[in-house]
Amino acid sequence: MSVKSWYERKYYGEIEDLPEEEYDVLVIGGGIAGIQAALDLGDMGFKVVLVEKEPSIGGFMYKLSKTFPTMDCASCIATPRMAQVFHHPMIDLLIYSEVEEIEKKGEGDFRVKVLEKPRFVDSSRCTGCGQCELACPVIVPHEYDWGLAGRKAVYIPFDTAVPRIAVVDLDHCIYCGQCERACPTEPPSIDFTQVPKIHHLKVGAIIIATGFHLFDARLKENYHFGEYPNVIHAMHMDRLLAPTRPYHAILRPSDGKEPNNIAYILCVGSRDKTVNNPNCSQICCMYSIKQAQLIMGALPLADVTIYYIDIRAFGKAFEEFYQQAKDMGIMLVKGRVAKIEQKENGDLIVWYEDIENGGKLCKAEHDLVVLSVGLLPNKEIANVFKGQKLEVDDVGWIKPVDENANPVETSIRGVFAAGTALGPKDIPDSVIEGGAAAMQCAAYLSEVRGRH
Amino acid sequence: MSGGVKNTVLEYRKKTGVEPPKELTELVKEINKIKAKITNALKEGPKTIPEIAKEIGMKESLTAWYVLTFVKYDLLEPESQTDEGYYRYKVKG
Ligand SMILES: Cc1cc2nc3c(=O)[nH]c(=O)nc-3n(C[C@H](O)[C@H](O)[C@H](O)COP(=O)(O)OP(=O)(O)OC[C@H]3O[C@@H](n4cnc5c(N)ncnc54)[C@H](O)[C@@H]3O)c2cc1C
Ligand code: SF4
Ligand code: SF4
Repeated sequence: MSVKSWYERKYYGEIEDLPEEEYDVLVIGGGIAGIQAALDLGDMGFKVVLVEKEPSIGGFMYKLSKTFPTMDCASCIATPRMAQVFHHPMIDLLIYSEVEEIEKKGEGDFRVKVLEKPRFVDSSRCTGCGQCELACPVIVPHEYDWGLAGRKAVYIPFDTAVPRIAVVDLDHCIYCGQCERACPTEPPSIDFTQVPKIHHLKVGAIIIATGFHLFDARLKENYHFGEYPNVIHAMHMDRLLAPTRPYHAILRPSDGKEPNNIAYILCVGSRDKTVNNPNCSQICCMYSIKQAQLIMGALPLADVTIYYIDIRAFGKAFEEFYQQAKDMGIMLVKGRVAKIEQKENGDLIVWYEDIENGGKLCKAEHDLVVLSVGLLPNKEIANVFKGQKLEVDDVGWIKPVDENANPVETSIRGVFAAGTALGPKDIPDSVIEGGAAAMQCAAYLSEVRGRH
Repeated sequence: MSGGVKNTVLEYRKKTGVEPPKELTELVKEINKIKAKITNALKEGPKTIPEIAKEIGMKESLTAWYVLTFVKYDLLEPESQTDEGYYRYKVKG
């Protein structure tokens, strides 16, 4: 299916061009870093607009199971923050919206064009009851579960989505009207007369918190991701372990069997020049150890083996977390995995170089393999700046003006960045940077406004 | 706001002249067939995904995807588990 741009689609009416609105700060990206930045600025009394391109805020965090090393429930921490930002009197949200253009007119004066995509659902009426979703006849892979299960053409992104209301995916709609007939509100909340809206914003400063992409594991051809159904990636496993998981249990995709011999392959797409990413992704060792521990809890009879090059447990309590995994019986094999083969029953043979035994080529059988994929930069945002260059590093992460003394200010004065938009990092560090960017933003605004 | 327009999907279709893409209408027909085949296969009693796949002549991984999606949408439910770690599914209700 070809996915059309928002300007190519047909609408009930003309695209709406709205009058200019003024804010102190624009935050781009509603993940945990952007949420923290918006909340801190809102609490300081700044008028903030937060733009999120997905139909819900939250980013990766609210899709996770638990968080290392404390093993707190990720959505239990994320959801109240999401609700707080949603209801904050100083923060306006443009959800399901994309920043298209940013032009700097002068210090403290940025003009921004934002496209708000139509949900085809009236957010003031929709109660999130899900009746439309049950009625819709179209089933396509759900991107929030990385395709593990299906969703309908009209769907509620997630049980814990903020806002928890439906959205219509026009590219997969057959215009049957079943959703509208099933909707119990009066009149129905399904509204195909909605059109895209263009917002024109005048803002004093900007925070970029657009996060990261997962490495595309298909590029490591020897692992046959996308071809062997039981080779999955770590986000699949985090979804399988999460309370909002797509299946009723932890099951392997090839035949619905509960796995009992699971392998992890670390550093897939990280520290690897062949895929143009020489960097360590910093979190993969720890999220793999987290998932291994959760699997041991959920499937007590399962064997879990982690194939690693070396374990990087550098943060607070990380080493203890790693030792705890070993004590639980998780097997750690220092070995580089050369290739994976599939047996007829869907089980997998992992060929690896056994580094601690002289580099001997060995093989082991597993019934599920999880690829601990690395983090890659979200490059699109650099293209929206008109007449100014947002500096990025060789891989594409936003480059701060000074990595040591000023790690959240970008090459464009008045534009700050936070979280994984700047490079791979975990949730606590993303939150810290969200706060730091908010502070720098406040200082910048008082400086440039004081001068006026 | 729908501005008082009733049956907005129908009105949208009339006004824009859009037609559902053929590949999507074919997909919906296929989904309906798969749904019927799976529920039919479960008429005699609960079955595992490999058993359903064999009976309806569909790839195990595709059968797994639909069965687990139908569980999510409350059409099917897991009933019991085999010693090999498979769940048996039945039609809900
Ligand atoms: C498998 C896995 C497991 C993990 N487990 C843990 C863990 O246990 N503990 C831990 O601390 N960390 C964990 N992490 C890391 C954690 O997910 C990140 O640290 C955190 O999500 C970073 O938050 P962020 O706000 O920087 O980015 P994101 O979560 O990526 O949020 C960015 C947001 O910006 C939006 N966006 C992107 N582009 C645009 C745009 N152009 N316009 C508007 N909006 C945009 C996105 O839709 C998204 O909502 C894990 C990561 C993975 C992949
Ligand atoms: S009109 Fe579209 S979204 Fe609504 S039920 Fe039909 S296919 Fe689904
Ligand atoms: S659009 Fe209607 S049916 Fe769908 S979730 Fe909202 S209120 Fe329920």
